[in-house]
Amino acid sequence: MSLRSLLKKEFHWSKHNVAALLFILLVLPSFFAYTSVAFETVIPRDAPMAVVAENDEVTENDMTIVEGSVTAFSDPVIVDSEQQATRMLRREAVYSVLVVPPNITDANNTNATFTYTVDGSIVPYKEPSKALRNVMAFQFDSLLNADITVDRQVLTPDNTLSEYLIPVFLMAILMLFAFTYVPYNLAQEAEVLDRLRAESSLEAVVGAKLIYFTTLMLVPILVFQGAAGVLDYASNALAPGAILALLLTFVILAALSMAVMVLFRFGTMGRFVNVILLIAVVGFSGLAYPVGYFSTLRKTVVRLFPTHYAMIVTRSSMLKNLDLSLFTDWVVGLVAVALVALVALKASSVYYRRTS
Amino acid sequence: MPITIENVRKEYGSVVAVDDVSLTVEAGDFHCLIGPNGSGKTTMFRMLLGLTNPTDGSISIPDAAVGCGFQEPNFYPTLTVRENIDVFASLVGGVADQWRETLLEELRLKRALERTAGDLSGGFARKLDLVLSLLKRPDYLFLDEPLGALDDVSKERLLAFLNAYTEDGNAILVSTHHIDDFEQYVDRVSIMHDGDLVLDSTRAEVDLGRYDTLQEYYVEMVLEREGAAVALDG
Repeated sequence: MSLRSLLKKEFHWSKHNVAALLFILLVLPSFFAYTSVAFETVIPRDAPMAVVAENDEVTENDMTIVEGSVTAFSDPVIVDSEQQATRMLRREAVYSVLVVPPNITDANNTNATFTYTVDGSIVPYKEPSKALRNVMAFQFDSLLNADITVDRQVLTPDNTLSEYLIPVFLMAILMLFAFTYVPYNLAQEAEVLDRLRAESSLEAVVGAKLIYFTTLMLVPILVFQGAAGVLDYASNALAPGAILALLLTFVILAALSMAVMVLFRFGTMGRFVNVILLIAVVGFSGLAYPVGYFSTLRKTVVRLFPTHYAMIVTRSSMLKNLDLSLFTDWVVGLVAVALVALVALKASSVYYRRTS
Repeated sequence: MPITIENVRKEYGSVVAVDDVSLTVEAGDFHCLIGPNGSGKTTMFRMLLGLTNPTDGSISIPDAAVGCGFQEPNFYPTLTVRENIDVFASLVGGVADQWRETLLEELRLKRALERTAGDLSGGFARKLDLVLSLLKRPDYLFLDEPLGALDDVSKERLLAFLNAYTEDGNAILVSTHHIDDFEQYVDRVSIMHDGDLVLDSTRAEVDLGRYDTLQEYYVEMVLEREGAAVALDG
């Protein structure tokens, strides 16, 4: 019975690869099943919105009423000044700014105009913001005594969806490379690892690889810049802030994926784990959709990922040409995370050596 | 300064691969480490190269160049022979063009220079591994089963070359389970069995007794030990 023999062979193979099979058949499906809880809604119900008083005449009571009114379709944050609110908008800490006029509860006030400002470069939020303006206008009108108007303003630049997706795709390409090609390349190194370790060191091998691949990432950046030029997109992939954020992100992710490969002794399991990390990083970095889409949980998770901040810096540099000083704290944070990732890579090499 | 191995022990979980082994590798010696499969030779090699840490004991290597040829040829299979040589020559540094030419000539590897290393036959793969191990002209050369897959002519050429190499004052430590090929060149013999060092002596001091060759002597010694072990178990 050749079929029976072959099935028996498969069973023996499975016994010897039980860890990989458990990972694929048990851990992976569980992971996917549970990550679905992070996707509950398709409209932005928890997108952060800055609510700011137009002047000192706006009372605390006015602000409380407005805050309560917008809670149904946003996550309002009361801020002290329009300047602070605009800064938050540019840093994607909020996706809209609502300026509250005075005397909104005064029936004699015939011209209470709310200013609702969104960022023209955050394309996925632009269309919903039109609907949200209408919702707000209706809600405020029915709730407040004054004659209410909601004026929607869009901060320039006003990008197209195609332009918006350029930095997103570029970041995704770097992530894909870091978690698939880098581990594949490192796995190939296993065939010559003894000689490399005898003549050099594992740290030197992975270090050289990291430097080489990081430099290589300038190629997709140039390609995207070229494509944007040909397609006449208002996008600058060569903006210093974008290059810095992209390369720092790549160093973090590539160091992480290499550390995983070293810990798993360059085996197939290391590549599986890296695919999971790729899915997690792409899914929870908030690359394309503003936080507040899908669910509150996703918003919390996204803001834990350094790649989320790297994406904002990249997008802001490429599309808005914003001054990098606006993101100094995040860039410093990315450098710190990169250092931690490098330490983790070093630690994995030391572990490999000590357990050899 | 010799390489000194003192009371080295290596455990893999509950398995003792090398048990309290001490020996020295003297400069200029052609030293053979013999033993059957699983005797601990390769583990000793890996510890000498720093690829595996001893569980106990110490290994002292003088400040000298050490080269290594592996049981499984170690090179980049996707690169050509020439590219592999270039990469490792650059890595070890200071490889004279003349020496590179000599190695390619001695090991008859010139005609395979542009071939992808992964496509090489077993013999050529072995030759490439040997060239890589000799690139930096090491003072101490460790070779793990270096004659595997080589044809008889290539073996003779390599052995003559290695012998001349030791005459220049370099030491060679060969790990093998087949000492016949090395018998006429070897200066020192160490025999391992089940992780123990059961003989460590100069070739001149080995009393073959009723046996004609070192190979017969070694095989009989191992068989006797295994017989004794079986008897003890029984």
